[in-house]
Amino acid sequence: MLRFVVRRLIFAIPTLLAVMTMVFVLVRIVPGDPAQTILGDQASAEALQTMRERLGVDRPIIEQYIEFMGGALVGDWGESMVTGKPVLAEIARVLPYTIELTVVSLIIGGLIGIPLGAWSALHRNEWIDYVTRVGSLLGLSFPAFVSAILMLIVFSIQLRWLPVISGGDRSSFGEWARSLALPALNLGLIMAAYITRVTRSSMLGSLGEDYIRTARAKGVPERVVIWRHGMRNALIPVVTVVGLYLGILIGNSVLTEIVFNRPGLGKLIVGALGQRDYTLLQGLMIIYTFVIVIVNLLTDLTYGLIDPRVKYQ
Amino acid sequence: MTATSKIEPVLDVSNLTTSFRIGGEWYPAVRGISFSLQPNETLALVGESGCGKSMTALSVLGLVPKANGRVEADHIRFEGKDLSRLPDEEMRKIRGNGISMIFQEPMTSLNPVLPVGFQVVEALRYHQNLSRAGRERRALELLDLVKIPSAKSRFKEYPHQFSGGMRQRVMIAMALACRPKVILADEPTTALDVTIQAQILSLLNELKAETDMSMIFITHNLGVVAALADRVAVMYAGDIVEIAGVGDLFARPTHPYTEALLRSVPRSDRDTKTLYSIPGAVPPLTRMPKGCRFTARCELAVDICRKQNPPLDALAAGDAHSVRCWVRGNHDRAALKENADV
Repeated sequence: MLRFVVRRLIFAIPTLLAVMTMVFVLVRIVPGDPAQTILGDQASAEALQTMRERLGVDRPIIEQYIEFMGGALVGDWGESMVTGKPVLAEIARVLPYTIELTVVSLIIGGLIGIPLGAWSALHRNEWIDYVTRVGSLLGLSFPAFVSAILMLIVFSIQLRWLPVISGGDRSSFGEWARSLALPALNLGLIMAAYITRVTRSSMLGSLGEDYIRTARAKGVPERVVIWRHGMRNALIPVVTVVGLYLGILIGNSVLTEIVFNRPGLGKLIVGALGQRDYTLLQGLMIIYTFVIVIVNLLTDLTYGLIDPRVKYQ
Repeated sequence: MTATSKIEPVLDVSNLTTSFRIGGEWYPAVRGISFSLQPNETLALVGESGCGKSMTALSVLGLVPKANGRVEADHIRFEGKDLSRLPDEEMRKIRGNGISMIFQEPMTSLNPVLPVGFQVVEALRYHQNLSRAGRERRALELLDLVKIPSAKSRFKEYPHQFSGGMRQRVMIAMALACRPKVILADEPTTALDVTIQAQILSLLNELKAETDMSMIFITHNLGVVAALADRVAVMYAGDIVEIAGVGDLFARPTHPYTEALLRSVPRSDRDTKTLYSIPGAVPPLTRMPKGCRFTARCELAVDICRKQNPPLDALAAGDAHSVRCWVRGNHDRAALKENADV
């Protein structure tokens, strides 16, 4: 299995190189000039030229590319064109916030979605099933920022249970939990909606399998038939969807981050894009790709825990 | 052994009807059939696909899906209990314990994510008061009994590491786990190749000889019937159309359908160029004819066949050979004709 992990990581290298090249080209295709953004509309031509020289964007594109790739490979990702701080430090500052938000959302989504999906499948075409299906569809189609604002109005402004600005207070565990609660719930409920739907359909599939009938014919109690025989098999597609959605979640949490004023990768990307901060954008894209590679790897390893037919070689 | 035997039957099914809901309407797949099973007897249920053989077995075990299926019977008597009226939990205690079942598809009937040994242990766990170690020892004995080579080392392996024949042996081990009185074997060899079929059949025969269990053997293979069964019930479109001792049935096939079935068996002792096949197909569940359901495919059909379904009557008083046919059966046709008009 260790060999499998190492091999997968080695195979990720060409992916990373390709992504780095594409990102390098793409950020420069986007119209706009970082020097102009930094200095504003009133800047003189000389000032702009000096700024361009300082940022290095006046040099031939090939030269910039070689410097970027060479630097990235030895761990020097350059400095942010806007703040002047090292790109790695900027990313390292917000990464923990993104990771904790993603992980807690995932836990909330799984804890709600898996039992709800199974329950819905077991009561197929009864009112419980209809309510769950409509509810999860609503969860999928409701824009994240609207639900975030609604949550703020209810829990922070009306009930005053939780802070309005949850900017990642880390002074104590209690404060940390209070600041994380609403954003994680917001993303977790969307995740739960996805997981409910997949669990429901895969559970319906697995409950119709021959081995379920065999288990019943053995006199295994219904509760055990459902959880041990049905759920274990139904989890395989759930893991696939969770893996895919996690990747999306990491980039798409930006609206939630903005509403709750939390630091995070999503917010950093949008900021860097707006200011044409080429170096920061490049760094963020590399991290993003790397996270996707890791999430996919974890997904594949989870299959092995569930299904003995999966072999790593 | 005959149906009128004085010995108390292990299983007695009376007027069993199993219906399915298709587009809001209920259609019977099994139509009021009755049969009984004597101790240590093998009753073969024979008929082509969709005639209600498997549904009969699933109905006895209470495994017909409740969402769109319905089982009704005057009684299904087993060990003094009426299975057709038993609460779910009581029924669960009988499944795999007093009555167990072997299914047609060994490739999909085992759970792919659980070890084979565990799945056999599970058959013991909910019925027998054994320690964990005791259950594992008994499961291992069972795997040895069904002749799985080096069972001990394969105990923790998964179904995908077993061949089809070996998986069916595991299914048989599971079915035998609690020494059931009745085994329902639903085409246990259909999915296997011929040499493995022979092995599984001789295994079942041996096991039956060693214990006092009875078996309902569902098949469409008449060769298997001849080798294994004591008595045969031929089913067509949800009805039993003929029931007789195995020797009697092969010597005197009486219902036109039985006759046609026997004619469709390839034989190595005769030189034939083309194999006989029964023209037409079983009518669909939703469009069953009013009278005898075999009429459309029957060469002997007369008027009354289209009007009324014949009863299943003994060929002679006290004879264990019964047939459901206006033309070949022993009926007072004139009297029945009058009833038909009522």
